[in-house]
This record gives sequence, structure tokens and C-alpha cells, in this order.
Amino acid sequence: MQIKVKLYASLRRQKFDEADWEITPDQKIASIVEQLGLARQDVGTVLVNGLHAGWDETVADGDVVSLLPRMGGG
Amino acid sequence: MSEKTISNNPASVIYQRCTVDLATGTTTFAQVPCKNLEDVLGGFGRSFQILAERDIAEAYCPENPVILNTGLLTGTSIMTGMRSYFSGYSPLKQSGTGRPGAMWSTGSGNFGNKFKWTGLDEVIFENRSERPVYALLKEGANGPEVELKPADHLVGLTGHAKIMALYQEYPEAHFAAIGPAGENWQNNYMGAVVMSTDNELKSGEPKSRFAGRGGMGSLMGYKNLLAVVALSSDKLQKITPEIRDVNRDILKSGGSARFQPASQGGGGGTWANIEVLQVFHAVPLNNFRPKGNDDVERLFRDEVEKEFDIATEACHRCGIRCHNNLFYKNEDGSRGKLAAKFDFEPLILFGSNLGVHEPAKVCDLIHRCDLLGMDAISLGTTISYVLDYNERHPDKPLFNGATFGDYDKIAELIEGAGRGTLPGIARGVKRLSEETGETAYAMHVKGLELPAYLPDTNPGYMFAIAGGHMSMGTHMMLAKEGKHSLEEWTQAITTGGLLQVGYDMIGLCKFVGVGIGHDIIVRALKEAAGLEIASEDIVAAVRRAYLRGLALELRQGFHEEKEYTLPSQVMNDPNPKVTLPKFITNEFLGELRQRVWGIFKPEMKGLLPVQGE
Ligand code: SF4
Repeated sequence: MQIKVKLYASLRRQKFDEADWEITPDQKIASIVEQLGLARQDVGTVLVNGLHAGWDETVADGDVVSLLPRMGGG
Repeated sequence: MSEKTISNNPASVIYQRCTVDLATGTTTFAQVPCKNLEDVLGGFGRSFQILAERDIAEAYCPENPVILNTGLLTGTSIMTGMRSYFSGYSPLKQSGTGRPGAMWSTGSGNFGNKFKWTGLDEVIFENRSERPVYALLKEGANGPEVELKPADHLVGLTGHAKIMALYQEYPEAHFAAIGPAGENWQNNYMGAVVMSTDNELKSGEPKSRFAGRGGMGSLMGYKNLLAVVALSSDKLQKITPEIRDVNRDILKSGGSARFQPASQGGGGGTWANIEVLQVFHAVPLNNFRPKGNDDVERLFRDEVEKEFDIATEACHRCGIRCHNNLFYKNEDGSRGKLAAKFDFEPLILFGSNLGVHEPAKVCDLIHRCDLLGMDAISLGTTISYVLDYNERHPDKPLFNGATFGDYDKIAELIEGAGRGTLPGIARGVKRLSEETGETAYAMHVKGLELPAYLPDTNPGYMFAIAGGHMSMGTHMMLAKEGKHSLEEWTQAITTGGLLQVGYDMIGLCKFVGVGIGHDIIVRALKEAAGLEIASEDIVAAVRRAYLRGLALELRQGFHEEKEYTLPSQVMNDPNPKVTLPKFITNEFLGELRQRVWGIFKPEMKGLLPVQGE
């Protein structure tokens, strides 16, 4: 099945801004990130269709998965 | 520090204090045994215990000291270990009773190292001098020496120009100075302390660091103390294999990686936050009121790179290299003169939050604020209020009638604030909004202006004790994790959030990016300071220091309900454009306060000295 992956900030600069991505039906977010070739420690926030999601969640066909780098300040 | 063991005996650690009476010029040196682990760790953990012993009713009084000190790892070879701290009762942070709140502010650069290498751990500046002076701290044959020197030649200079003038005289030293804002202390409560960096001294360009929050520069101005010179030979600690490992782990930790240069695969400093927060339309725009549009995207790094040459630079020997300095490009494409430092706070607070979106104009506004020596957060946030007010009252505007995006008029406001001609702005947004009667959209908590993270996303601001994001690490929690239940916020404020202040004790930058009880910190203290302190003891000491600060707020009259709140616009007129959960209501805050105080108050008992004893 196909999802849309959106990357932001440093992740975008490493790979791409936005891409359609083929995954298997039960594939978890952690595994999608690995498949994308991103280091898990570089990803701070995962959104599925704009809502926060965890590493072990799965996604549905047509979902939009947004990956944000770790944030911080001070 | 002279002793190298501690366990349950903090008094075995001695620190070197000098008390300087600015009125008489006398100096008194003392070897002071630590009372507790907070004293040992240093920074505000120590200075707040001194402040707690004093009954201070107004910031500008001779009894209110400026305390300059270091943290345990300042001057060591642990990466980022160069912080120094300025503490005192703040002219800006003020309770409803009129009493000032205790504050500290801190900065990097090489000043902290040089100060520590004089042999001093703490200088307490008492009273005030009749004439402008600077303090010369230096190492002597028999230990540290401190002298006051006339500073008439520095009067009126920018902070950077003061630093460069002193550098001519003391080429081996580093410097902390105030700018015109601090000199105009009667009319400016947001004066910063400007601190020199190696890059600044070498290049002559204004690449200073700032201890900005809470008006410690204004307090120095009141005391007629225009600068502090730290003159010592370099005493670079030998980098043992263990210290090298700690530094390698700091650089490799995901926590610090986000602040490292984008060109090296890092996050590119706090600048990167803008792009991440924009995903939720949560970047402050037009006085913290995002419109759900893409205006802020013109300040994304890729856009700015088209116009400027961006250099990532660092404080003395720091591998995190978090400074993003922007240089104009010459016609031939080579690097021109420095435009400004461009980090998240000034970028947003002098950019999108004022409705200014052209990078060159934002650079100019930041540059003006820096040269005049003001806290970018306090000034930017106060000006955004003025612009908001003027947009609401076109018939009866404040000051020069500036509105959002009105770059020339905003520049005038910055100049006026820094030069002391616009006290209405330079005394901060709390006072200004109380004068206008429109407090709902005045973005401060307890008199300290909010940094560039929306209050709509952070009820933790209520329990910050020294500036919204520096002393309560919850400002990104909603965007990062989406958490918005009472349980989650109570937990965040009362555990991890408050531990953020630990970095303002030990002498490292928060950009190290790991929890204060982390193995990296424990190893750093052991290898560089020779002190074995268990993680849980560090955490407990940091917690006590934070709670002492909170207890001090209550003692200074901050009302535990009315003043532990957010700007009322957040609750009464939530912004539909922000796509994060809207959960902050008056009821939510009321319940959160009750739960947090329920946890904190029993622990706060006995943390303050009984006054009069
Ligand atoms: S993290 Fe940044 S501010 Fe801190 S010492 Fe390193 S370069 Fe300086």
C-alpha cells in the first residue's frame, strides 16, 4: 500500500521534502523510518494525518506521515 | 574549589569569594565552605541562597547585590563548560505587591573561563559607586586580586565597543559589559550583560554572547558598574581520555546534535525550530497570534541562505558550534561584514512576531538591540505588544504609531528604548499594559516577557522561575509529543521540566541536551571536577534549588493563583489557526495549579532561611 511521507527541516535536507512511499500493510512507523534510511534518534516527532503518533503504530493506505527532527531550545 | 571529595560532606568543598563594596572600593576575600550540594554545583543554586538571606523591597537599592559566579564545570575542559552567572533581584520581574523577584541570567563566551581562572568562584558587588567604574579581576602572586577602575571613557559606548576598548588595554582578558540600555537603568529595566567571545576579540565584529534575562545589565548600570574584566592566563585543563570520552558522548548525543551545524548533518541550532513549529502554525506572528499562513517561511534557513552567507561558529573550543552568524555577501560573492546572529528567539521576536519578514531587516533590528545591550526577548515581546495595541487603536496609538511590519518605526522604538528615551517600552510589557489597561495580550508571566514559543502551547510558563523557557523545560512538549492532559502536564512540570535549571548550576550549556541526572553529567563532574556525585543526589539538589527559587517568589509577594497564570487571551480567545490541541482553559489552569502546588509546597518548607536570623 502507499502512503505519503513528508520530511521537515534537517530531515528534509537529508532526503526529500515529500514522497509517495510503498509499505507493507502491518509495517510499523519505526520500520518505515528505518526503510527511509533515517536514524531514529534524529526523528523527534511523528505525525500521522497531523496527529502525534508513536513508533509502534501502523498506518493505513493513503495516510500522510510527517517526520520532524528533534527540537529544542533554551 | 580546593577540596576534591564531597559525599555527604559538602563543607569539604571550599569556594573563593570576593565581596566588593562599590561605595568604598574595599574588597574582602573569603574561603567559604559549601553548605549543601546546591552550593557545590554553583550558579544560581548558590547565588539564590545569598539572595534569600536578604529582605529586598526594590531592585534599585544598595542592598541588592549583583552576584557573579560560576558553575562547578566552568573553566574545565568539558565541552560548553564556560558559563558564568549574574544574579540579583530583578528590576523587571516584579510581583503585584511591587517587590522584585530574584533572577539569574547566564551566557557563554570565554569570559566565564577567564573569570574562573583568576582563582575566583564568586564576586558579590555590594552598594553602588558614585562614579562609573569597571572591576578588574585578576590572578596575583598570592591569589586573586580585585580592583575598581574609573570607567568614564566607557560611558555611552555600546556593549561591544566597551569590550573592544577594554581589549586594547587588556589583550589577555575577557569581558562582561553593559550597553547604553544598562547605563539608562532608570528608564530601561531590560539591560543585558554583554559577554565577549574569542571570535569577537579577534575579528573586532560584534559577536558577543548575552546574559539577557531579567535586567541584570540594568542592575549593573544602577551600581555604576559598567564592565567586569577577567584577566588570567589560560589554564586549559588537560584532556584526559575520560574527559575526551565525555566530550565525544556530548557531541554524539542526539540532544546536542540538533544544535550542531546543518552542514555537518546537525539540526542547525535553534533556528531549525521555526520550520518544525510552522508545521502546526505555532510560530509567533504579530504578537503571538499566528494567522495560519506561510509568512514565516521567508525566514527559513534555505531562504535566508539565498541572501546571506551563514557561518556556524562557536564559543571557545566548543564542538557544538551553535552560533549562526549571518554575513552580507559582497558583489563578488565573497563574505562581507557581519549582519547579525540569527537564532530562534531574536529571529522570531524581531521578525515574524513584529510582522517583519525580510531577513535583512530582521538582521538590522537584532543588531540594534544587541549593540544597545538589551534582552532580545523582553524588548521584542514588548514591542510586539505596542504594535498590536496600535493596530487595535489606530485613532489613539502609542509612541510613534508603529504597526506590524513598520520596520523604520520599529527601529526607532528600539533606539528609543535602548537610549532611555522610551521608558514606556523599556520598562517591559507588564507595566506598559497595566498603564494602557489592556493586559489580555501582554505576553509576560510574572513580569518577564515570553520567549518565542506560544503560551497557547505551554502552561509550564506559570512555573518558570527565571524566564519562560530557560527555567522550565516544557516549552516544546506539546509540539513534540502532543500531550495535553492534566496528568501529563502536572508530571512534566513537577519532574523533568524543572530539572532544566540544573544546567544553570553546573556551568554547562543546555545545548548539551541530556537530562541533568544523565550518566554524561555524572562522569563529567567526576572527571573534570574530581567529585563523585550520584545522579539522584544531583537531581535532588537541582530540585531543591528550583523549589527555593519558587519559595522566594512567594516570599516576594507573587500571588500563587493570580500571578501563576498566562496572558488571558490564551484562555478567553483561543487561536483557531494553531493546529495543536487547544486545552488551556481557566479551569485547566486552576486545576493544574492546584495539583502542582500540592506537590511542591510540602517540599518547599524549610528551604528559605528564617529572616532576621
Ligand atoms: S553550545 Fe553554543 S553557546 Fe554553548 S558553548 Fe557551545 S557554541 Fe557556545
